[in-house]
Amino acid sequence: MRRWCRIGVLSVSLAVVTSIAGSPAWGQAKSELTVALSSFSAETLDPALQGHNVKYYLSLMFDYLVGTTPDGQPSQAGGLASKWEASADHKRWTFHLRKGVKFHTGEEMTSEDVKFSLQRAMGKRSTTGYAGPLRTLIQDIETPAPDRVVVVTKDPTLIIPTYLSRSLSTEGMVLPRKYIEANGDDVFARKPVGTGPYRFVEQVVGSHIKLAAVDGHWRTGTPKYKTITFKLVPEETTRIALLRRGEVDLADVSRERVKELQAEGFPVHLRKDEAILHMWWVLGPDGRVGPTKDKRVREALNVAIDRNEVAQSIFGGFAEPAAIPMGLSWSFRDVGFKPTPEMQYAYDPARAKKLLAEAGHGGGFPLDVYAFQLPGLAEGKAFAEAIAGYWEKIGVKPRLIPVDYPAFRKLWVDRKAPEAVGYYNIANRDWIGTFALLEKQAYTPSKLNDTVNDAEIDAMIAQVLRQTDRDKINALMRNIFTRLRSEHYGVPVVYIHSPYATAKTLPKWNPGSVMYDLFIDQLAASK
Amino acid sequence: MLRFVAVRLLQSVVTLALLSLVVFVLARTTGDPLHMILPMSATEEDYANARRYLGLDRPYVEQYLSFVGRAVTGDFGTSIRARRPVSELLRERLPNSLRLALFAMAVSLAMAFPLGVLAAVNKGTGVDRSAQIIAILGQSLPSFWIAIVLVEFVAGRWQWLPAGGIGGLSSYVLPGFTLGWFVVAGLMRLLRSGMLEVLDSEYVKLARLKGVAEVRVVWVHALKNALIPVVTFAGIYFSILVTTAIVVETVFAWPGLGRLAYDGITSRDFPVIQAVVLTTAAIVAVVNLGVDVLYAVIDPRIRYAR
Repeated sequence: MRRWCRIGVLSVSLAVVTSIAGSPAWGQAKSELTVALSSFSAETLDPALQGHNVKYYLSLMFDYLVGTTPDGQPSQAGGLASKWEASADHKRWTFHLRKGVKFHTGEEMTSEDVKFSLQRAMGKRSTTGYAGPLRTLIQDIETPAPDRVVVVTKDPTLIIPTYLSRSLSTEGMVLPRKYIEANGDDVFARKPVGTGPYRFVEQVVGSHIKLAAVDGHWRTGTPKYKTITFKLVPEETTRIALLRRGEVDLADVSRERVKELQAEGFPVHLRKDEAILHMWWVLGPDGRVGPTKDKRVREALNVAIDRNEVAQSIFGGFAEPAAIPMGLSWSFRDVGFKPTPEMQYAYDPARAKKLLAEAGHGGGFPLDVYAFQLPGLAEGKAFAEAIAGYWEKIGVKPRLIPVDYPAFRKLWVDRKAPEAVGYYNIANRDWIGTFALLEKQAYTPSKLNDTVNDAEIDAMIAQVLRQTDRDKINALMRNIFTRLRSEHYGVPVVYIHSPYATAKTLPKWNPGSVMYDLFIDQLAASK
Repeated sequence: MLRFVAVRLLQSVVTLALLSLVVFVLARTTGDPLHMILPMSATEEDYANARRYLGLDRPYVEQYLSFVGRAVTGDFGTSIRARRPVSELLRERLPNSLRLALFAMAVSLAMAFPLGVLAAVNKGTGVDRSAQIIAILGQSLPSFWIAIVLVEFVAGRWQWLPAGGIGGLSSYVLPGFTLGWFVVAGLMRLLRSGMLEVLDSEYVKLARLKGVAEVRVVWVHALKNALIPVVTFAGIYFSILVTTAIVVETVFAWPGLGRLAYDGITSRDFPVIQAVVLTTAAIVAVVNLGVDVLYAVIDPRIRYAR
């Protein structure tokens, strides 16, 4: 009996310990906003050390030279440049800076800071998304006045404002020259200072990044939320539990949990067509090799896939069939391109078999399909398995190779796995972002990443680089898309929509359509 | 005893030195970290710049000597992924892992001791079988499943305890229980078999004949002598809990050493991989040494004399 009494005491003690569940781990008052994300990417706070995928939090700490609206259009209201213009020859871009903007240190932002930031973004230490292209493009940066900066390019170009805008990577973020020169890069990376509506408070790598509001900010007014905390929560069940407990206000969730959350009354915001899920064949050292050299084989592999079924069964209906290789749909509206119904790949395994037979591969051929998990794409391996299944049905002998992405990327860029298939969830972007992608992945001179190897497309891309007439650029881009599709240079599968669930109390929010940027500052804005 | 400790320490140093070479070589065979930190649009020039900036363009021998030379002073270089000193990352993460492992070990001991002793005292009864089932479940149910079920129901739906992150004591309960329950089966079975053996020994029978209370016989006289294998097991598992709780740390958003190692491996972050492996090895060496010393404390007959 006494033994059982002791067990009872033990149980009660345990219950007491467990009932010290007083305040939640990440308690939150009304003036705090907590965002739970599945990945922070590299977690670096220095804009020169990462590309797009740190913008979730960096775009709150830093202002861009050129602002954009949440739907990715250049905005004179959203950036440090209140206006900009090009010289007649399109080789000098003058940016007029907003006056009275201060860094979080209290120092006034001037054209010298812009010049310094741009030089740093293009510097050899930089690993941002477009450091290379900017180095190639920019000849000089002039600062004729504290509120004026002139970017001089080697060739006529239209793309400078977009490169330096919030719609692309981090190159357009303006950094404090004096602070960095006085304290060094390492201190800046640990205690970043910008002009954004939120200033840095603390970072615990692998855990969270905390920011505090800047009163009376020129862009947002005094933000509604005194602090914003980004929590790194890799497991979705945990993110949803935190949302249910009211410990986070916003979280990225998977497509398969959307209906359940909506049924519980949590608003779910979709970033429509946030990425295209796209497959391509790795080139050999001298270009395309093997059966996929034949256009008919490439078409067969495309029409063998039931894209509607993929969208429904793998992505829970939160995806749309895609038709244009590397066709990032947000760019279509910019260049006036509209895929025709004929361009859509109809699911037709019989035709696929016929095409293979015509190409002399009726008996099929072995094809390596690398299956890996990508950040933000939980469905990655299931997707690769499904596609391999479709190809198997038409007689191709796909071999699924489980691997992690870095290992595949090495094979791809080293061209050590010619004709093997890889895939990526390429973030959607506007025309210039799409062009930047094409310049790397569809342009033979880029060598490393090229997946196309087509002289006609190379020529058109080279023309876009030199062209300053927007109408001509649009026509060239439309022609590039048309040729990518007609030659089947890749396997565009679906555009995927990314869901974000918010607390029931959160006001209406537009997550926008700029890659890796949730425009949380607009949610926090008081003006 | 001192000589024993000194020899063991020396062996540990040699092990760590060999391990540093192995981890240095193996980490580099897994791939190139630049494929992770550089964007898809990076040019060959970008690759060359980054390689030079990160010191990865130097000969391997030079890189190794530089790594070892700094490691002995506690400097493990800079994380390629996070661009922060690795020693700083370790300082942030290691205490989190140690605290969680201590809590988990406390949970497992709190469960294993009563279960093991009760099972032994009530051998072959329903109590024995129930205790064994509880213990075995902890080992047979996958940790990730237990963790997700706890988060989904205990934290998310019933809202009894925090779902993740480090906060007050309450934030330790779910991850600590998930980790601790796994260890219970081993501890409990060792304790049960040890107790059965001891309870049948002459000195226990003598104690009973002398009229010593049964509670004292079981919990004082018998238990102490059944502890040695339990201490060994607990020591080994404590090291494992500190360093390999990747699943639990991931599910409970716990910034510990396991996730640091996982992130380091997936991003080919050589300095982090090297530092975590060496730190882990050092922890295992220290804990094992501690366990050996503890033997002598528990059983005075054990001495590490020449």
